Amino acid sequence: MTIQIHPHKRAFPIGEPILNVQDISLNFGGVKALTKVSFDVRKHEVRAIIGPNGAGKSSMLNVINGVYRPQLGEITYKGEHFKAMTPRRAALMGISRTFQNIALFKGMSALDNIMAGRNLHMHANFMEVAFRLPRATREENKNREFVEEIIEFLEIEHIRKTPVGRLPYGLQKRVELGRALAAQPEVLLLDEPMAGMNLEEKQDMCRFVLDVNDHYGTTIVLIEHDMGVVMDISDRVVVLDYGRKIGDGTPAEVRANQNVIDAYLGVAH
Amino acid sequence: MIYRESGQFRTTYNQDTQIFPLRQDRFAMIALLAVGLVVIPLVASDYWLKALLIPWLIFSLVALGQNILTGYAGQLSLGSAGFMAVGAFACYNFMLRIDGMPFLVALVLSGISAAVVGMAFGLPSLRIRGLYLAVATLAAQFFIVWALDKFGWFKNFDPSGVITAQPMIILGNVFDTAQEKYLIVAVVVGVLALLAKNMARGSTGRAWMAVRDMDVAAEVMGLPLVRTKLLAFAISSFYCGVGGALFAFAYLGTVEPSAFTIDLSFRILFMIIIGGIGTILGSFLGAAFILLLPILLSVVFHLIFGNAISASVISSVELIIFGVLIIAFLIYEPHGMARMWQIVKEKLRLWPFPH
Amino acid sequence: MGFQFFLEVLVTGLLSGVMYSLVALGFVLIYKASGVFNFAQGAMVFFAALTFVGIMELGAPFWLALPLTIGVMVLLGMATERFVLRPLVNQHEITLLMATIGLTFVIEGTAQLVWGVEVRRLDLGIKDVPLKWLADNTGMFISQIDIFAAVVAAILVSILSLVFSRTKVGRALRAVADDHAAALSIGIPLKRIWALVWAIAGVVALVAGMLWGARSGVQFALVFVALKALPVLIIGGFTSVPGVIVAGLIVGATEKLAEVYIGPMVGGGIESWFPYVLAILFLLVRPEGLFGEKIIRRV
Repeated sequence: MTIQIHPHKRAFPIGEPILNVQDISLNFGGVKALTKVSFDVRKHEVRAIIGPNGAGKSSMLNVINGVYRPQLGEITYKGEHFKAMTPRRAALMGISRTFQNIALFKGMSALDNIMAGRNLHMHANFMEVAFRLPRATREENKNREFVEEIIEFLEIEHIRKTPVGRLPYGLQKRVELGRALAAQPEVLLLDEPMAGMNLEEKQDMCRFVLDVNDHYGTTIVLIEHDMGVVMDISDRVVVLDYGRKIGDGTPAEVRANQNVIDAYLGVAH
Repeated sequence: MIYRESGQFRTTYNQDTQIFPLRQDRFAMIALLAVGLVVIPLVASDYWLKALLIPWLIFSLVALGQNILTGYAGQLSLGSAGFMAVGAFACYNFMLRIDGMPFLVALVLSGISAAVVGMAFGLPSLRIRGLYLAVATLAAQFFIVWALDKFGWFKNFDPSGVITAQPMIILGNVFDTAQEKYLIVAVVVGVLALLAKNMARGSTGRAWMAVRDMDVAAEVMGLPLVRTKLLAFAISSFYCGVGGALFAFAYLGTVEPSAFTIDLSFRILFMIIIGGIGTILGSFLGAAFILLLPILLSVVFHLIFGNAISASVISSVELIIFGVLIIAFLIYEPHGMARMWQIVKEKLRLWPFPH
Repeated sequence: MGFQFFLEVLVTGLLSGVMYSLVALGFVLIYKASGVFNFAQGAMVFFAALTFVGIMELGAPFWLALPLTIGVMVLLGMATERFVLRPLVNQHEITLLMATIGLTFVIEGTAQLVWGVEVRRLDLGIKDVPLKWLADNTGMFISQIDIFAAVVAAILVSILSLVFSRTKVGRALRAVADDHAAALSIGIPLKRIWALVWAIAGVVALVAGMLWGARSGVQFALVFVALKALPVLIIGGFTSVPGVIVAGLIVGATEKLAEVYIGPMVGGGIESWFPYVLAILFLLVRPEGLFGEKIIRRV
């Protein structure tokens, strides 16, 4: 499957590195998830992380946004150095993500899930909410407007009031993307956003991801297994295998890298 | 045919997020309020007020508190009766020790006292979850009741062990008839229920439900877990505290620790399970159910068996039926009676067509 | 006061601690095998003791009443598995917990209905007097029943530990506890194992009920004693048999010591909440308990 991307002038040209991970090592008990992994992500680019199952890709994302603390290594984000991120700090600094096994709030509607993603922009306290004081309702309506734009962008108007637990898998993934976008992130981490989708759904998702990158300039770090998608939409690719980095470069460079071929691409699929 | 949405358009977000977006629902609510605040005090008998309506409203309030903590925020708590006790004793002490303390102010203060205690016992929830948290709340229940009993200061060193609650005086008027007590309770519960509904539908409720459903994702989105959980404990305990104060002042007439046992905590939990976890309506429905069932049972038993059945047999059967109902609701309708009501309304919208 | 008194209190506390371990063991067994926290375990202890006494009152001798009661407990366990746990099989653990709370009410109600509400004496032939030998030689007054109960409990716990770790059945039980689907896939008969686990838990409940009942009479308050097993589980770790033993001893000892030494300063009654507060403190420092498995949540 290939997507035709007509070369065009990027609205947001790729800039300096916005995120830099250096020598990240992570283990759980005896299991070494990541060993001395280093790479950078440039502003406004689409960076893919690929590798066989168990290579440590999700763990890498989890380290970037603070869900896991690495034993060794450093993260540099927007010029600041951290031994480890915390989820809250990552969110406050503009990092958003989606999860491999959808982490939506199953008890709420799609609209509420995405509104929840807006929480950093909502400052009314519980008293104002309880008494429906003007600041609370004004804020609620303003953010509702913003969220409705996202809903329109993702073409999910028809299911906005449906409890997400009842939605089909593809739509759930879209709602999760909406929730991540609601925070207006500078860096968006996508963990297998197209897993389990059929061809049409994949094309839609690709279109959304590229639109987000093109329209809002969001830097995208994405884990994906579909090689066609990766090769077509990413600017640069990192390849992990057994927790180590074995390749780093443009899709063409990575495709030609013998180590990567040996470890992963193997026979034409 | 009657319950139709057609022709009702919502053109602003404000309209879309109303509590009762349908005109029919709004009429029904106004009618309900009229009946509740005007008709009932005029026509209901003292028995109905004192034995049914007042306790129902009070328990609905406490069930609301429990629903906020367990239903919306997902923190299983078995200590609601303990927080009720804090509220009751706080109210008594505020009225006792501060001259001229208005009753309504005392009520708010006792809610705040319960909220503070609730937050203290809610601190463990920052590190522990689920089952373990439930045991921590048990600690709250046992410790609070023990402390209120042991330290005579709370009871003003009264040797008799049974403290009479002071009369409720608002703006110089004594509220001691059944109708007057009912009005106080109805207004307080109504207002607090409205506030709870607003919180549940707004950003506060969303934060709670996010923490309940998937707290890792919530944290990743920047939701402050600590503040959200502690707020849930605080507000929930506030509601339980006010409920406890009303329980002592408008219902029992006495303030005693033995009224707030672990058994009561379990019943409150059952109220929200049967009524509907995570709903405001469910708190009212569940409270009504748990309150009415024993009465219904004893009426039925007396009808069938005359006076041959002893009270202990009836109470045993009551226990069994409660337990079976809990299990049945959890298996067949985990969202409780509130969901059943929603299904009825959905069918009503289509009536007289089947689908 | 003095050291001898302290020792006396300590030993009494440890002995009741062994008893707590026994009740907690029932919880651990079921949790390990089916992942369900059976809140109703306490009610089952009460029900077992009550049924045993009741059957004896109907005229059956000891050696008949015992197997009959075990049979009843096994049936109860299997009914629970079939009607409560199986329909709720993939639900949230809180849902299951609440279902077992409902079950508690059912069992309590049934016990009351069938056997009535009076307190019963349970006579195991051992009198509640200080062991003469101990009193004479060391000056410590420790009840014979307490010692007997502790010994029986210790034996039962040891047997169960050995069964779990050394026998084929024990291995199967541990496999089921770890991963139901995997156990099924290697041919372990899941339903039979569950039935076995509930049977063992029922027997444990019965022994615990009989021992507690012999000490303090078979009465409703037994259910609250069983609630005390919860802090034991938390401190020891939900899935660890040795943890439960150690934790039981800790809870029993500290509870007694607190009651005797701190109690008089505040008017007594500390036993009602002390173990729970201890459990909270433990949880804050070591959330998985002394011997429990560290929980790693994968996202």
